[in-house]
Amino acid sequence: MTADARTAAPNGRRLGALPRLRAPRLRTIGMLAPAILLSVLFLYYPLVFIVQMSFSEGSTFLSPTGPISTLENYAAIVNRYLPNVLVTLQLATLATLADLVFGFPFAYILVRKVRYRNLVRALMVFPMFGTLYIAFGLRFILLPGGPATPLLDALGIANTSILFSLPSVVFAMAIFTFPFMVLNIGTALSNVDPTLEEAAACLGARPWQTFRRILVPLTRAGTVAGILTVFGWSIGTFAEPLLLGSVNEQRALAWTVYQRGVVQTDYGLSTAMGVVLLLIAFVVTYLSLRYSRGALVQ
Amino acid sequence: MSTVRLASITKHYGATVAVHEFDLDVADGEFVTLLGPSGCGKTTTLRMVAGLVEPTGGRVWFDDQDVTFLPPRARNIGFVFQTPALFPHLSVADNVGFGLSVKGSKKPAIATRVEEMLAMVGLTGYGGRLPAQLSGGQQQRVALARVLATDPRVLLFDEPLSALDKNLRDTLKFSIRELQRRTAKTAIYVTHDQSEAFAISDRIVVMNAGRVEQIGSQTDIYLRPRTGFVAEFIGANNALPGTVSAVEPAAAPATAPATAGEPATADELREHRFTIESGGLTLRCRSRLPVAIGDQVVAYLRPEDLEVVDEGDGAQYRNVVEGDIERVIFEGPTAQLRVRVDGRELRVDVGGDRRLIVGEGRGRVRLGFNDLTVIPADSAAGEPVVEEA
Amino acid sequence: MVSSRQLTNIVSHAYIWICLVVFVLPFLALLSYSITGSSTAAGSTYALKNFQNALGTFSDNLVWSLKISGLTLVVNTLVSLPAGYAIVRHQFPGKRILFSVLTLPLYVPAAVIGISLVLTYNFTYHLTNSMWGLVFAMALGTFPLMLIPIVVALKDLPIVFEEAAECLGATRWQTYRRIVLPLIGPGLSAGLLLTFIIVFNEYLVTLFVHPPGLTTAPLQVFNLIRTAGLAPTTAALAVTMQIVSFTAVVLFLRFFGNRHLKGTYLL
Repeated sequence: MTADARTAAPNGRRLGALPRLRAPRLRTIGMLAPAILLSVLFLYYPLVFIVQMSFSEGSTFLSPTGPISTLENYAAIVNRYLPNVLVTLQLATLATLADLVFGFPFAYILVRKVRYRNLVRALMVFPMFGTLYIAFGLRFILLPGGPATPLLDALGIANTSILFSLPSVVFAMAIFTFPFMVLNIGTALSNVDPTLEEAAACLGARPWQTFRRILVPLTRAGTVAGILTVFGWSIGTFAEPLLLGSVNEQRALAWTVYQRGVVQTDYGLSTAMGVVLLLIAFVVTYLSLRYSRGALVQ
Repeated sequence: MSTVRLASITKHYGATVAVHEFDLDVADGEFVTLLGPSGCGKTTTLRMVAGLVEPTGGRVWFDDQDVTFLPPRARNIGFVFQTPALFPHLSVADNVGFGLSVKGSKKPAIATRVEEMLAMVGLTGYGGRLPAQLSGGQQQRVALARVLATDPRVLLFDEPLSALDKNLRDTLKFSIRELQRRTAKTAIYVTHDQSEAFAISDRIVVMNAGRVEQIGSQTDIYLRPRTGFVAEFIGANNALPGTVSAVEPAAAPATAPATAGEPATADELREHRFTIESGGLTLRCRSRLPVAIGDQVVAYLRPEDLEVVDEGDGAQYRNVVEGDIERVIFEGPTAQLRVRVDGRELRVDVGGDRRLIVGEGRGRVRLGFNDLTVIPADSAAGEPVVEEA
Repeated sequence: MVSSRQLTNIVSHAYIWICLVVFVLPFLALLSYSITGSSTAAGSTYALKNFQNALGTFSDNLVWSLKISGLTLVVNTLVSLPAGYAIVRHQFPGKRILFSVLTLPLYVPAAVIGISLVLTYNFTYHLTNSMWGLVFAMALGTFPLMLIPIVVALKDLPIVFEEAAECLGATRWQTYRRIVLPLIGPGLSAGLLLTFIIVFNEYLVTLFVHPPGLTTAPLQVFNLIRTAGLAPTTAALAVTMQIVSFTAVVLFLRFFGNRHLKGTYLL
């Protein structure tokens, strides 16, 4: 019997693409549709919308006569609102530095030395409940006449100088993002073989040298990922600046966006600020994804 | 329960050919094994029979039904995987009853059937346990019970014993065969383990690089390999490539050739004698293979077919050669000799008293042999290498 | 004489504990505040009374918070389960790009999401007066946190289970429901936990997007602080929110351990 005779179906149908054995295209699309729809409708389209709006003057985007195109909003940001942008960046940078300086040792001790890790993890979730409670709690603590007063008096510091100032805002921000930094560094650290440190010590390296020449390079990817996660979040927050900051800190961009946009309906300006925030966030995200992919490969 | 026909089944992955025009007819109730090294396409073929992989070409028939494009659940098959794949969150009883419950059978009927199946595999009373509480062998038995519960028409086994230790494998393979016989189901079994295949199959399909090398019974494959690959893959073999130097006049065909005008095939000729020059060796052969002077062939010699012969003896052998013993490996039931004869190294398996005498080591030895399998060179596989122990 | 190694140990542990105390300090401060009343107020108010008060006055807010969280959980599940399955098990080009596209909301600052949605709702979708606007905003920000654990759980689930079920005669739907879903249950719960924690305590995007009259508890806390300053009742509300959240986390860790939080922010 020839091959053809053996393979021909009774009705002579030829083989074609199969709808039944592999997941049909339609089913795949159907399963992905809700997620894609949600993203497009509630993220991507709105983002496009505000980018468009940012090039229009004030609230003219939606006026019957059509938008007045302008770059004024961006110019205004550069001319008048630069302090806001700078404050935002400043707060985020300081918070990130604080997290780095205090977080690295924390992560190191947690990974290398501590046995009651689950307890620590359980307590570490508290900051993650949100910046609001942290800011609230801190404000309460630092109130004149509040619980910290005796301590501050002893140190000769007036409450108000701490309460509505840069340090307390940065402190609050750092608390919230601390767990994220610790997690990123901790993961990287747990991938570093402890015997490497022992080997270095046996070879005569002092702790600082081991840190600088062994630990830092090997955990670089995780550390960078942590830095960028923390930074990315910190540029978007407004509870801490508002509740704990002076007028200067309250210029943080996130809040300004709300003020100008929702309260004062200057849509053009607020969306332009939003776009600036977005750009900063994207640069940060792009860099962190590049570095953390290296970490995943490790 | 069902015959299975594979008609020119083919599978391409991009440019790679995983399976090339595989033809096979499996009779109702037959136990056929696909045997071959890793990557030869046997698992891919099995999965095409199951419907887990879509063929690029060809057809699969169960009895008169073309099942090529049916999803697995519509084929009524039983597939036993390499790992038991018992659902970890379900009890043993729920696992075994799964196939029935998804088809909507009633609880009492399912329970009865589960009891039956567990009894058949010797695990009565284990119904309430979780898979994690069972040993590897027990899990695989539950897997068997699970596929049998749905009364499938074809059983498919994908190297079910390869993850188990040796003793378990030896006992379980016979259990599988026994169950298959009792339930009279058609079975296709995939393995790379020769002894497993030989122990339990009705027929064996030897595969290599996506192609069928030979289909036959255990004796067919061992004693009459058709290709170099089969000769070397099954058991140990000495490969002696050479050229045909003399041919005794071929006997007349026993019957007229089946196809007029075409040369007679090996089956249609009676045996005839010819001589092969292989390196420095002269081999006298007798076989049905149609050869002419100058043909390139490979002669295969099984180690157990070489006999150690004393001085002056050996008249009963068509071939007697002499060589130097290079190595002796005492294996227990046999001793393996590596003998250098006229530039070639031959492996000789010696049993009985000889293995002790020869075990002394060095020296010359006389070897006599009759049975050679001769295969045309273009179907021989790879380098002529003596099979390693 | 304390050896230097012992000293390092003590200092290390002390450091950890100091940090932990700092974490919990705001909570404890609020707790004490809500129980004892303001330290400058005349006389003290009783703990229970404050909480009762809080739950009474703010019961609407709490109910709204629970409602919104619950609805977001449902939306997230319906959106992430099929998407996660398709990404792991189906073949199609551009999977990585799609995955990045879908997880992008995690990297967009809350204020940007807020402003873009409030404007879009007002002028294009006309969703300003519906609670669904808030729900979808919440869902958008958190569904990646459900998608990731689901994808991780599915990747860890050997495909042989689904093949076995299929060969035994189960339809696709039966396989999903009876085999896949139970086996990725823990991973799914991790996503649910994260979503709940975040949405329950969310105020940033909520501020922008909430329909008039719909104030969730955290938003209420925020508003009160800004308008009325600090008050024990507000503190009581904040404390309640944190206790509920913490309980949820502890329960989860009790049941499932922390294997399933891999890849998310919590682990």
